[in-house]
Amino acid sequence: MRLPVYLDYAASTPVDPEVAAAMQECLGDPAAFANPSASGHAPGRAAQARVEQARAEVAALIGARPGEVTWTSGATEANNLAIMGAAQFRAARGRHLVTSLTEHASVREPFRQLERSGFRVTWLRPGAGGLLDPADLAAALRPDTQLVSIMHVNNETGVIQDIAALGALCRAHGALFHVDAAQSAGRLPLDLARLPVDLLTLSAHKIHGPKGVGALYLDAATVPWLAPLMYGGGQERGLRPGTVATHQVAGMGVACRLAAARMAADAAWLRALRDALWDGLRGIPGVLLNGDAGRRADHILSVSVEGVCGESLLFALEELALSAGAACSSDTGEPSHVLRSLGRSRLLAESSLRFSVGRQTTLEEIALAVAAVGRAVADLRRMRPPAAGTGA
Amino acid sequence: MSYSPAVRHWFGRAADLVAPLPPGPGLLLRGSAGREEDGARVAFELRLAADARAGFSAAAFRAFGCPHVVAACALLCAWLPGRPPAALARGSWADALVPLEIPAGKSASLMIIEDALRKCLTDWDNSGLPST
Repeated sequence: MRLPVYLDYAASTPVDPEVAAAMQECLGDPAAFANPSASGHAPGRAAQARVEQARAEVAALIGARPGEVTWTSGATEANNLAIMGAAQFRAARGRHLVTSLTEHASVREPFRQLERSGFRVTWLRPGAGGLLDPADLAAALRPDTQLVSIMHVNNETGVIQDIAALGALCRAHGALFHVDAAQSAGRLPLDLARLPVDLLTLSAHKIHGPKGVGALYLDAATVPWLAPLMYGGGQERGLRPGTVATHQVAGMGVACRLAAARMAADAAWLRALRDALWDGLRGIPGVLLNGDAGRRADHILSVSVEGVCGESLLFALEELALSAGAACSSDTGEPSHVLRSLGRSRLLAESSLRFSVGRQTTLEEIALAVAAVGRAVADLRRMRPPAAGTGA
Repeated sequence: MSYSPAVRHWFGRAADLVAPLPPGPGLLLRGSAGREEDGARVAFELRLAADARAGFSAAAFRAFGCPHVVAACALLCAWLPGRPPAALARGSWADALVPLEIPAGKSASLMIIEDALRKCLTDWDNSGLPST
């Protein structure tokens, strides 16, 4: 078994060999390496065809039309473009926006920036299980609400929001509904022909595609335009100027095609792995499941561990590659805002571990992870001093 | 967060130095400080030889805290035996922790260790035994 055991597939996944082959082809093949905007010659048109083939593959994954897919550098840019672009383009109609406290930083920070520039933002707080109550969204919507942004699958807890119900409220109200689907696209079925979603963010490297490329879906019927983040070229209808990285988007296209083909099999395997992991971890006293036990993605399991320091727990688990809620492992120096929003104490938020499994994960690795956590927790608790007032 | 090789070494040795100390001759001093809610709590058990001039004969600890805290406590429990009670003065033991390369942001944790060691000295003062 290769150590450390990689259990951080929600952070990134290895590039599928078929994806890598498609990308390689675009880097040197005369029929694919040319600038896809150079439609005046055959190689340029060939590259353009490769880009459009990839666009169609991405669109097929989510039940969209190819023309509704705009390339970006990743989910962060797609989230920024959706939020900043929609808010600014519709600012004359109203300046009220809605999102939740448990969003990814690439959603929260654009909203914070919009607040600083005069927009008003309502931050929805989920229940203890991490689920938003549609009634809370209904109460938050105002006549001047222009945009609501809610993630589909939470990247820390794996909790799945009811985007159909939330989107229906937005549609009825006339507000745009943006969904960050970085953790769900390619893992859960998404049919945007039927879902009331106006803007949707996708990432390639979460589904065995390359880093550095993502996409934003814009419903052609409801989102005629957004204010661009950048200027200087006509690519992507001027919404996202800059030469399209043919190899990157080709890789994303293949990754989406493979994800669609393997979705059912992947889901069954990931669920088996996650359930085996939880069956093992729940036997360790003081291990608490974070997030709703029912509505959760198959690839993510978040737990908090009572009675241990999160930083030392992570340190003691060097044979595992996973994410943690400890402040030391965050960019902000603060424990997970998601778990704090769910009502977890600072200590429990800090002692959280996020396991995320993937196609390559084995049951043997899951058994090793359970044993490692059990051993580390026992060692740290044996080291734990008695509480003040009970003797040194 | 990156950790020095010394932190890795002493964190790995910590399990061998966990309190309580086994029964033995001499005076047992105890001192603890900190709160888990604030990120660190440590407790020391130091055995002073029957003849205090011989210094500490054994040391053990318990700690809730980051790897730097655990490693620092473990290192000190290995460093103190054979040293006199004066070694509990910060100027003395703090030098011993230099190889751990504890970042400035963790200085509050060192203060908790200092408070716990001071309480060991207070324990000794309260014992009524003469100081050296």
